[in-house]
Amino acid sequence: MSPFKALTWLVSPLALLALWAAVADAALFPANLLVPPLEVWRSFADLLATGELQEHLAGSLSRLSLGFAAGALAGLAFGTAMALSDTVEAYCAPLFHTLRQIPSIALIPMLVLLLGIDETFKVVIVAKTAFFPVALATVEGIRAIPRSHFEVAAVYRLRWPTLVARIALPAAVPAIVTGVRVALTRAWVVLVACELLAADSGLGQMIEMGRQMLRIDVVMVGVAITGVIGFALDFSLRRVERRLSGWQVAGR
Amino acid sequence: MNAIAPSFPAHVQTGALSIRNLSKTYPLKGRPVPVLQGIDLDIRPGEFVSILGASGCGKSTLLRLIVGLDPDYQGQILLDGQPLNGPGLERGIVFQDHRLFPWMTLQQNIALALKNHDLGTAQKQRLVDEHIALVGLRGYEQAYPHQLSGGMAQRGAIARALVNKPKVLLLDEPFGALDALTRVRLQQELQRIWVQERCTVIMVTHDIEEALYLGDRVIVMEANPGRIGEQVQLELAHPRQRDTALLFQHKQRLLAQLVGH
Repeated sequence: MSPFKALTWLVSPLALLALWAAVADAALFPANLLVPPLEVWRSFADLLATGELQEHLAGSLSRLSLGFAAGALAGLAFGTAMALSDTVEAYCAPLFHTLRQIPSIALIPMLVLLLGIDETFKVVIVAKTAFFPVALATVEGIRAIPRSHFEVAAVYRLRWPTLVARIALPAAVPAIVTGVRVALTRAWVVLVACELLAADSGLGQMIEMGRQMLRIDVVMVGVAITGVIGFALDFSLRRVERRLSGWQVAGR
Repeated sequence: MNAIAPSFPAHVQTGALSIRNLSKTYPLKGRPVPVLQGIDLDIRPGEFVSILGASGCGKSTLLRLIVGLDPDYQGQILLDGQPLNGPGLERGIVFQDHRLFPWMTLQQNIALALKNHDLGTAQKQRLVDEHIALVGLRGYEQAYPHQLSGGMAQRGAIARALVNKPKVLLLDEPFGALDALTRVRLQQELQRIWVQERCTVIMVTHDIEEALYLGDRVIVMEANPGRIGEQVQLELAHPRQRDTALLFQHKQRLLAQLVGH
């Protein structure tokens, strides 16, 4: 591969940047509303130098990891139970499939009233957002396992802890990791949205404060960082996905 | 020819399988369709029985019932006089597809079969290594199934089925998915392994030559509904030569009978 080809992905961001600079330069919008790229970069450097950006990022990411870990693990456990147990399925399936249709954003007003606008509210909503995609992917991943795998397990009289840990989960890993990816992206988006509405720190709060003080440069830094963080999270999970489902791709 | 001693040795004491009036129906569009009807079979400990039949005659269903994957049947299946209840480690099975778990190495696949054995880790490890060597896969312990050829994967499946030291080994068209040359080689290997292990074997196949080459007895199954037809007793010691005149005669006769004149 030529060194230029490796940089192909850079073309579209550079083009966007150029367009942005050109439109800002043409003064179609007031300069304090459509801030030119260079000034946004300067604000970014300032926020970084004062440590303000790091503080907001740390706030957002700690909420994300706490809520996401709780939601994803619960989703994994619930999904496994529902896929393997007819009883759990019979009792929970209709409710589960109804609840997963409710957008997390729609729960914000109610959760704010119940839990206030503190950490609990944000962690809970992130956990809720992560729970459903992971649970759904786990259910469907385990259901899609060929019956022949379970027959072999039956022949060797594997008990259910072994069955879950050595057969069901590994076989469903590719589906589960895809679900985890979806969940993480959604959880991040929902978290930033929640911080916009109610928070005393975090990337969303930084954006909201910037808006209120008409510091659109700060808003744009926040928006860009949100995108970059989301991309980085998804990118690393893609790597994990490829590693964990190596046996599957190569088997085809 | 008759002077040759029966090929099953006297020292094998357990692994006698008795099937009494076994019938099985499947529901098809709400109506029960008989797949197996009135099967009566007595298999001696250490005997190699080939069950020969066209596809759809219920021979694979018979194996599924014996291994315990399907409890829904009429009649009795007795192992050493005891009625069977679900799967058990004293019965091993090899399917047509190897069914090794793709996310585990060969070694892990075989070790999983020993999961419910009350043995120490070292002893289990030794058994796994022994059986990998037995099927000629030494050096491939850490290989994943997709890194093995079809024939090698099937050897792995045989090792997994044997690692529990089953009294009865069930083979469901074990070489049906392999190319002709690999099939011949694995038949020879299976004969060598069986001469060494001497467990009771029931092999289902639609390959007449394979059935005759390996079996102490060949049972022809007839279809619709599946039932026992002709039985051929082969008084020929193992290991055998493929081109023995006796096997050839039987082959011609069975071929004419199964395929029609």
